Order: sequence, then structure tokens, then C-alpha cells
Amino acid sequence: MNTTEMPVQSAQTLIKSTLAAGVLAAIMLTTVILPAEYNIDPTGIGSALGLTELNSQEQEIAVPEAVQRGEQSFAYRTDTTTIEVPAGRGIEYKFQLDKYGHLEYEWVTESGELYFDFHGEPAGDTTGYFESFAIATANKMSGSLTTPFDGSHGWYWKNNGQESVKITLKTKGFYEVIGLKQ
Amino acid sequence: MHNSLKMVFALMALIAGMVISMPLFAHGVDDATKTFLAGNEGVSIIPFLYIGAKHMVTGYDHLLFLVGVIFFLYRSKDVLIYVSFFTLGHSLTLLFGVLNDTHVNAYLIDAIIGLSIVYKGFDNLGGFKRVFGFKPNTKAAVLIFGLFHGFGLATKLQEFKLSSDGLVENILAFNVGVEIGQFVALLFILLAINYWRRFDSFLRFSTMTNTLLMSGGLMLVGYQMTGYFVS
Repeated sequence: MNTTEMPVQSAQTLIKSTLAAGVLAAIMLTTVILPAEYNIDPTGIGSALGLTELNSQEQEIAVPEAVQRGEQSFAYRTDTTTIEVPAGRGIEYKFQLDKYGHLEYEWVTESGELYFDFHGEPAGDTTGYFESFAIATANKMSGSLTTPFDGSHGWYWKNNGQESVKITLKTKGFYEVIGLKQ
Repeated sequence: MHNSLKMVFALMALIAGMVISMPLFAHGVDDATKTFLAGNEGVSIIPFLYIGAKHMVTGYDHLLFLVGVIFFLYRSKDVLIYVSFFTLGHSLTLLFGVLNDTHVNAYLIDAIIGLSIVYKGFDNLGGFKRVFGFKPNTKAAVLIFGLFHGFGLATKLQEFKLSSDGLVENILAFNVGVEIGQFVALLFILLAINYWRRFDSFLRFSTMTNTLLMSGGLMLVGYQMTGYFVS
């Protein structure tokens, strides 16, 4: 093969090089790469260097100033509630939000799927108008909503099964809880 | 002595600059490309050429492997032979993978790519000759590396559920793009290494360079295997 003289290193150099490569890789992995990439920090050095911030699961989402939400009458809050939907029944759970209000949500059923209609009703409307954001049958849902109008927003869940279904709903945002509407 | 030392620093600064300016995913695909791939319908040769080439030029794991392969190799004829072997290997598995809908875990593939860097670093130290009394055929190694790499590419491309309209043409264009990218990357690495080769420091630092190469490969293996077990 046309190569320049490839030196064959002594066994001692080989062992030294291999060990050095291994040790360097182990140090870099445990102190820098794994903390930064996966938030795995066996030595604590990663978090001391601020690297675990890069992939931390619990990142608070601050609302940037650039988002023009206007004046919001509700403060930012976080809630977790459990809602039970009896077998064969439908229930509605709502939140009051201003126009351009923000709601981050995540719900999951204990078992089984539910038909739902995620929608909003404008405040002061008497015609029964509502806007559906999502209609599906699922056992969980997560996402966020920036409201198109001032009014009540939330879910209608319908349990078509034989047993009652419990939902755990987590929310964050600028709202006031209206709660169950029959 | 003085000059060669300066040279080493300049080269290190250059490599560091290249590495830092690269996106932080070895073989990932950036957001703009994702949007394009997901929405594309029909034959688009040039965009796929470009994506293939960019993928190669910005993949630091692949560049590290090339540094290892080229380290003791300087004739353009040899370089062409190695490119061809890699091309053959990865074209086969990329086409086969996409057309047969074969999925291979991307973490495992990337870990194998890391291992190939470790292998080449160890080989450049004369490790195989010293320990086992023989040196594995580098051409075969490049071919095998190409085969694995092709499977990795196939898996990543399939994540985008590419439209079957014009699929074969697009994959071929992507393939050619990978070749172009690899050629461009090789050219730069070859220039840098051939320049460095003229100085004493090349041989003096060859042990250290290849040790670092091995270490870099090991880091990639650890990184990807952790990803495999975590995800």
C-alpha cells in the first residue's frame, strides 16, 4: 500500500496511548458530554459548570416580552386537578381567559380513551357559538393555546365506555378556573 | 523547531474553529432541511445533492475518521480508491435501506462510527501490527464503515416519510451529494495534513494526534451508547 512509513509504536507507548485515550474520554464523558447532552451528571461537575441547564427537563417557559398579549387580567398560575367522567356521561371543564391569553395543558386518563372537543366560547355571546380547537378520541393530550377571544375555554369529554374514567389535568398560564360545567 | 510549533498551533486553531462552528449533532439534520424533506414531492435533484454534501461536510464523526484514514496516506490515487470503497459501501446500504424500509437504530450506527475512529487511531499507532502481528486491510475497513454509514443515513432519511414520488432519483442525488461532500472534506483535510507532513512535528506529534483521535472516538461511542440506553 502506498503509505508513508507508518511507525509501529512500542508496546509501552501503545498501552500508554490507549490508557490515555480511555481516561481522557471517560473524564470528558462524565464531566462534560453526558451532563450537557442527557442531564446525566455522576460527578456533579456538570451542574457546577452549568452544563446540565442545556438539557434540563424542568425548564420554566418564560413568556418573552416580544409576545404582545396586551393587558391580562389573570395572573400566571399552575394547577393540577383530577376530573372524573362517569360511564356514558359527558362533562365540561373550563377556564376563563382573556383574548391572547395563554394556556399550556397536559391531560392523561387513568385508563381508557375519551371522546373530546377542546373549544372556546366568547364572553357575552348568547347565540351558543363556540370554536373547536381539536376534536378527537384519545387517552391523553398536551399542547398550548393562545386564545382567539376573551371567554371560557376548555374541554368537553364524553365517556362512551362502561366504567368511569379519571383524568389528571395539568395547566399553566394566565387564567381563572371555572371548573366543571354540567 | 520554532516554526513547526507555530504550525501545530495554527492547525489546532483551524480544526478547533471548524469543530466549534459546526452544528452540535453529528449526523442529525437541521430544522430547515427537516421542513424541506417533510414537504418535498417529486424529483428535486439539486436540493438532495446539497443536503447530502452538507451532511458529509458538517459531520464531525465522519471528518475524524477521514483524518485517521488520510494520516499516513498522501497520493491522490490512494485517496480516490478510498473514496470509491466508501461510496460503494454506503450507496449499497442507503439504497437498500430506503427502498426496503429497513430501520436500524441511529444511536447504534453512530456508536459504530465512533468505534471506527478508535480503530483507525489504534491502527495508526501500529497497534494491530504490534499486538496481533498483522494490520487489517484499510480498504476493507473503509468499505465496511461505508456499509454501516449507509444504513444510518437510510434510517434518518426514512424518519421524514419521504414521498415515494421521485424517491429513487432523490436518493441517488443524495448519494452523489454525499460523495461530493466527502470529496470536498477530504480535499481540505488532505491539504492540511500534507502541509503538516513537511515538518518534523508531524511525526513527533503523530502519537499524540492518534491518541486524541482514539479518545475522540471513544467519546462518541460513550455519547451514542448512553443515548441508546436513555432513549
